[in-house]
Amino acid sequence: MKHRTWHIFLYVILAVLLVFTLIYTVGVGATEISFKDVYSILTDRVFNGGARIAAGEFDDVTFKIVWLIRLPRTLFALLVGVGLSICGAAMQALVLNPIADPYVLGVSSGASAGAAIALLAPIGFIEWQYQTTTFAFAGALFSAFVVYILAKRAGGGKLQPVTLLLAGTAVNAVMSAITSYLVFRAKSPESIAAVYNWQMGAISAAQWKTLSIPAVLVCVGLVIFTIMGSRFNMIMMGDEDAAAMGMRVKLFRSTMFIVCSVVVASLVSITGIIGFVGLVVPHVVRLLSRTSDNRVVMPMSALFGASYIMWADAFARSSHGASELPLGIVTAFIGAPFFMFLMIKNRYGGRGK
Amino acid sequence: MNISYEDICVKLGGKDILSGVTLKSLEGKIVGIVGANGCGKSTLIKTTFGIVNNHRGTVMVNGKPTKEYTPRELASMIGYVGQDQSVAFDFSVRDVVTMGLYARQDKRRGKILVDTAMVDLGVYQFADRSIQRLSGGERKMVFIARAVVQGADMFILDEPTNHLDIKHQLFVMDYLKNSGKTTVIVIHDLRLAAHYCDYLYMISDGKVYAEGAPMDVLTVENVRHVFGINGHSEITEKGILDFALFEQ
Repeated sequence: MKHRTWHIFLYVILAVLLVFTLIYTVGVGATEISFKDVYSILTDRVFNGGARIAAGEFDDVTFKIVWLIRLPRTLFALLVGVGLSICGAAMQALVLNPIADPYVLGVSSGASAGAAIALLAPIGFIEWQYQTTTFAFAGALFSAFVVYILAKRAGGGKLQPVTLLLAGTAVNAVMSAITSYLVFRAKSPESIAAVYNWQMGAISAAQWKTLSIPAVLVCVGLVIFTIMGSRFNMIMMGDEDAAAMGMRVKLFRSTMFIVCSVVVASLVSITGIIGFVGLVVPHVVRLLSRTSDNRVVMPMSALFGASYIMWADAFARSSHGASELPLGIVTAFIGAPFFMFLMIKNRYGGRGK
Repeated sequence: MNISYEDICVKLGGKDILSGVTLKSLEGKIVGIVGANGCGKSTLIKTTFGIVNNHRGTVMVNGKPTKEYTPRELASMIGYVGQDQSVAFDFSVRDVVTMGLYARQDKRRGKILVDTAMVDLGVYQFADRSIQRLSGGERKMVFIARAVVQGADMFILDEPTNHLDIKHQLFVMDYLKNSGKTTVIVIHDLRLAAHYCDYLYMISDGKVYAEGAPMDVLTVENVRHVFGINGHSEITEKGILDFALFEQ
């Protein structure tokens, strides 16, 4: 049971890290706020009904920065970290390939194109609240489907790592072209800025009211993936083995792809493309926990991914003074070299060895 | 416990792989399927779990078509081990064997079942080692252990002795023989087939070319027709059924 003790130890460390990161990174930004102040404001507001705040113990501006700007944003970073990480882990299992993630498989760019269509296309849709999210979801699902079919066709009925990558690249290109074209045609500068933001990936748009849908969907995704952990393990053994163990392979794969697409779409429709998170986090977790068991990898990726993106976003908004670095650039700087490293390590051979 | 493949036809990529194969297991016995590469042996047993779809014919388990069982019910009756032994992710041997519990209704004493299966198949000493670091033969044992954990009374195995050295080939075949379970295997080694199988089906061009006791199936004519070589089964001085080659 050495393994289990180690895992519990890791859970505790990661949980502590998460709480610390949350409080610390709320203080990071153009206006630096001390850890102690953030802690006091948050605990007072959450556990005390804001009595000390009402009594005027804190600077009103500080309170507003913490509560209305930084906290929703940091929480959204947390959600992005959790959502993209668990979807990465899930997709790697579903396509039996350690290089898969929502970005590589074109799901993110599909969602982004869907959102762009909803916002910019000159079609008279009925305006409704969830229009962008719905379109992002449709785009994500469509991309995932096309990549899957394309890769399978090109690989002669099997999902080969190379064809999967190529299919992802091709779909990424098409979806980015659609988004860019819509931006090119767009008349209003605001919408252009918004779409530009998607393509770089940024979570500055996060507010309390945009949090609820992603929060619910990410939580549902996390619960489903964790409960399904042992099935993800089985499907990682290959379709033939999974079927022989009594799984409904096709049903499971398509349902889980839909769950992934929903979760990714709910995030990407707000943040835009943030790449490589789903690639980096599950890998680091597998190395740390020394297991591929998804019952461990899923929750641990959620914890680790949350902290990772909160730090990355804190860096993005503080490193260049008043002007913000898009989060997608930060994750790409970290993720892309990691991706190359994985390829060299030859783990990308997928069903190798 | 019995399984029967009735009039199975399979088309893959527009090509007829199997055209009307009928094959039955024998209670508590080992039924072997032999034939040249590409004759459709593996394809036939892959229809069991719908890994390959047959466009005609039915696979029956205990007198009921497989479609009337849930996949999990099927897995609790049949332990299937395919040919592909590659694993893309890092699981310990124990993790893999434990996956077999999924098919079981009753998961109590799961750990004991897993441990027992690992001991029986001689992989207990690797329990915590990564499956990716095992040899092909050792992996085979791990997968058979998993099939055992599923609680099945029937084995369907695609070349169980592939990748194994001679000692382990005999170990696996003896294990199957002694398990007393109804077994269907695809087997390339005609010596092992002659020695261990109670009944043989010889497949050629997607059809059953010959069937019966190994002695009657591995005749000079059949072997020449199916494999294009000279050889036949014979009883050695010690009274063991064996397969021998002639000068080509």
